[in-house]
Amino acid sequence: MQRERNRHLRIERDQLRRMRWVSLLEGTTLVVLVFVAVPLKHLGGYPQATAVMGPVHGITFLLYVWMAFQTVAAGGWSAGETSRLLIVAFIPFGGLVNAGMLRRKEVELTARAGC
Amino acid sequence: MAYLWLKAFHIAAVMVWIGGLLVSSAAVTAVQASSTTTFAAIRRWERRVTSPAMLLVWILGLALAALADWFPSAWLIVKLVIVLALSALHGMLTGTLRRLADGVDHRPPAVLRLAAPAVVLAVAAVVLLAVVKPFGA
Repeated sequence: MQRERNRHLRIERDQLRRMRWVSLLEGTTLVVLVFVAVPLKHLGGYPQATAVMGPVHGITFLLYVWMAFQTVAAGGWSAGETSRLLIVAFIPFGGLVNAGMLRRKEVELTARAGC
Repeated sequence: MAYLWLKAFHIAAVMVWIGGLLVSSAAVTAVQASSTTTFAAIRRWERRVTSPAMLLVWILGLALAALADWFPSAWLIVKLVIVLALSALHGMLTGTLRRLADGVDHRPPAVLRLAAPAVVLAVAAVVLLAVVKPFGA
């Protein structure tokens, strides 16, 4: 019984780990888009910068939303945590801040699973 | 114009039909596989076929929109919002399947009872928007 429980906890911990990496990726591409590609387009005259970074961020944003719903649907998330997970995707550096919360949840699950 | 509407409904019907066929195939295969549970087999299908297909849809769709210069069009923005909602629904279904395949006593979110009709409506709307481009084309 305990072994089964630990297996469930490990599966959820692995999901959190994947979510954290996607969160970091989404946060990074948004920062690059807003603070590098957009100024390069408007101030530097390089429209290719947003032409490349726009779709790249679009894909990582969709991946983030998909993963966030996947993570939350398994249960164990409060309404506040769920809102935070979804709202920060729209804020530069939000994905990076979120990675901290995901890391804490991951550590908590690791401790509960004893692995 | 009538031709485009017919074409849109035809493609939407094909997508719903093929989607149903895939569900039936996966379910029958899952029941035949004795070594694993039904949910685990469906989840395997989800990971190996459905999720990669979704990634391809995103990448190819964005590439098409960029190449054809469709980006500020209103129909595309509405379509993207629907695709985002479909991706979120897919995420919810995948997370629920993960829990069920894991053998956990898990009650799926109540909103998922409406998942199937929502998918059919969303697919019809997406195809109509892409084929007919009713506004802002």
